[in-house]
Amino acid sequence: MALFNPTFSFKPCNLFSNGPQRCRYVQSVRNFTLRATVSVEAPSSSTTDTGGAPKLLLEVKDLSAVITESKQSILKGVNLTMFEGEVHVVMGKNGSGKSTFAKVLVGHPDYEITGGSIIYKGQDLLEMAPEERALAGLFMSFQSPVEIPGVSNIDFLNMAYNARRRKLGLPELGPIEFYGYVAPKLELVNMKIDFLNRNVNEGFSGGEKKRNEILQLAVLGADLSILDEIDSGLDVDALRDVAKAVNGLQTPKNSVLMITHYLRLLEFIKPTYIHIMENGRIVKTGDISIAEILEREGYKSISGT
Amino acid sequence: MSISTLNSYLPHVRLPSRRRTTTTTSNRVLATLSDPHVLRLAETLEDSISAASPLPLPYLQKLRDTSSQTLLSTPWPSRKDEPFRFTDTSFIKNADIQPVPFSSTQSLSSLPVSEDTLLPNLTVVDGYVVDSLSQLSEFPDGVFVGLLSNLNSESIMKRVSEYVSDFQGDLFWSLNGVGAPDVIVVYVPEGCKVEKPLCLRFVSVNGSDKDSKSLPISNPRILVLVEKGGEISIVEEYSGGDENDKSYWTNSVLEVVIGDGAKVRHSYIQTQSLNAAHVKWTSVRQDSKSAYELTEVSTGGKLSRHNVHVQQVGPDTSTELSTFHLSIGDQLQDLHSKLVLDHPRGFSRQIHKCIVAHSLGQAVFDGNVQVNRDAQQTDAGQLTRSLLLEPRATVNIKPNLQIIADDVKCSHGAAISDLEQNQLFYFQARGIDIAAARRALIFSFAAEVIERFPEKSVQKKAEGLITKLLIPKLLSR
Ligand SMILES: Nc1ncnc2c1ncn2[C@@H]1O[C@H](COP(=O)(O)OP(=O)(O)O)[C@@H](O)[C@H]1O
Ligand SMILES: [Mg+2]
Repeated sequence: MALFNPTFSFKPCNLFSNGPQRCRYVQSVRNFTLRATVSVEAPSSSTTDTGGAPKLLLEVKDLSAVITESKQSILKGVNLTMFEGEVHVVMGKNGSGKSTFAKVLVGHPDYEITGGSIIYKGQDLLEMAPEERALAGLFMSFQSPVEIPGVSNIDFLNMAYNARRRKLGLPELGPIEFYGYVAPKLELVNMKIDFLNRNVNEGFSGGEKKRNEILQLAVLGADLSILDEIDSGLDVDALRDVAKAVNGLQTPKNSVLMITHYLRLLEFIKPTYIHIMENGRIVKTGDISIAEILEREGYKSISGT
Repeated sequence: MSISTLNSYLPHVRLPSRRRTTTTTSNRVLATLSDPHVLRLAETLEDSISAASPLPLPYLQKLRDTSSQTLLSTPWPSRKDEPFRFTDTSFIKNADIQPVPFSSTQSLSSLPVSEDTLLPNLTVVDGYVVDSLSQLSEFPDGVFVGLLSNLNSESIMKRVSEYVSDFQGDLFWSLNGVGAPDVIVVYVPEGCKVEKPLCLRFVSVNGSDKDSKSLPISNPRILVLVEKGGEISIVEEYSGGDENDKSYWTNSVLEVVIGDGAKVRHSYIQTQSLNAAHVKWTSVRQDSKSAYELTEVSTGGKLSRHNVHVQQVGPDTSTELSTFHLSIGDQLQDLHSKLVLDHPRGFSRQIHKCIVAHSLGQAVFDGNVQVNRDAQQTDAGQLTRSLLLEPRATVNIKPNLQIIADDVKCSHGAAISDLEQNQLFYFQARGIDIAAARRALIFSFAAEVIERFPEKSVQKKAEGLITKLLIPKLLSR
């Protein structure tokens, strides 16, 4: 039980702080990392590397995808490589294919893969069902999470959490035990306890929906979190709350793929890499300086052509 | 079958009522239009009733007279009649229908159903009240719950007698009028708010084997009269014993009269045998500023038909109908509702949901809302959703709004669907497998109605019921 009482107080690298970046690959942090990873129950806790080169986490090669129904081509050869502990940001205009890319990674049935490959932790991701991907530590925060009337937030979380426990060979938690586990997490997203009794996303404001996604992330844990526009539609306070929460969940070993088409998120984050997506392709990859060019000159200036 | 062939079946028509001598001439004319099948059934019912109570109360006599009068010109409904277009009643028609005798219902020392209700209750076995199984705690002064024949208060009798129905139902309504041995009366006096919900438990005990032609019938009849400003919550339950395969026919009528500013909350759970016929009328009259809320879960019956008729007789009424039907086997669940708004500023909300989870299962919904000329500023909403979980499962829905008034707000919607792709994916994306996701979504579909039961205990019961019925289905997929 104690193992599953996660402590989110340990934040070696405060992702959202503007302060100096430090300690990402420091040995002593690694030790903590392992504990922190177990504590959020990321299923990959078996990796007990002892420093050295960071491990490859995700490798997307020439990925192309069409809309299942209309066969309209959306992704046209995406390449992206991520190592453990890295934070990547994908930016690009509305309609450039960012959400599609995210949804394809988690196996959304609206899209059909027509070419390329995705290797996640050495496994062929495309061979895995969506729920297997989730259980392998992939978590996506949806840009517009769907409402599920008639299913309460706590029941939903309990189901998801137990699916994860089963995968880890651990006994499931009954509703009362689970309540004890989940209640303290509400503070992370600054929500009242009655949030748990409401139906999943039903009648939630934009901000509440985003907080709810992050609550799920906090409860379930992830090795790779894909956060699709967690910043859109939020006022400054809500954005700070959400950013703080994601921050609190971050360890040097889990990785984040952030999607946004606003620069505003970068006030809170100094990512390892920024990718620019355009017309279904990543046309440019670079460091934070790309954002600065964007700021000054707009997307046109970095267009791949 | 044409009328002339029908007539050839009519060597002699025995008139179903003793009092009919004065109107013989007109009856002869009607008799030529009679359906011999209906008349035979009416006779059988009448014989059983007159054996049971030789001297009926004036209320009952009047009810029987008007009902048998109507039956003279009411043929058995066929699929050609619009209200029965999708509802095949031949299962009842072809059976050998036998009224359950009074004596066979009174000797029970316990019910063959779980005794799970803590609510004050009146228990009715095969249409007859069984006192020893009922548990009526004290109600506020002036409230009466019991049989009409046990009603001592003249003033209540006088009020009740004003409501001997002049409503025109259908064949089944009239058969009940002829066959009801007595009337269960629930009377709430002016201004009286009854706190505890009243449970009316109807249990079918006498049943024939599945393949037998014989079909025991019971005809329970209930009148709920709530005077000005009164309030009551009624839980009406129909069940059929533990072995759920007996054949019987429950043909029940409930009339509800709601006075000025009065309120009735009506919960209805039907879980009869999957070889039974369950035909039910709920007819409601709402006076001004009154409120009526119906919440229904029906899962039982081979043939189950609920007719709901709500008539507004004054302005500013509020009507909420929330119903859930489940067809888990080779069975038909039918809801025919009609809401008639004749006065200004009525408010109504109707939601009907059904799940058909068997390839031979069927669901029928005909939801009529009439907003007549004087019903200005009416706010009427109707929504129906159906979920078909098996390839050949069928649903026939006919939502219809008839609006004559011009200053009104009306909305309706109907959808027949499988589960929402996006919702299923949301579960999967959180690591939940698709079968578990489907289960959760199916229960949530029903939950929207179940959570409207005013009593927590009834909610729990309905949840348990749906779980018990659906889980084996979903696991076997
Ligand atoms: N399920 C879908 N059905 C139809 N069109 C879609 C679907 N998903 C994406 N698209 C289209 O694909 C393009 C890329 O969409 P999206 O990935 O959401 O872009 P972004 O997130 O970058 O704004 C848009 O033109 C969008 O309309
Ligand atoms: Mg998007």
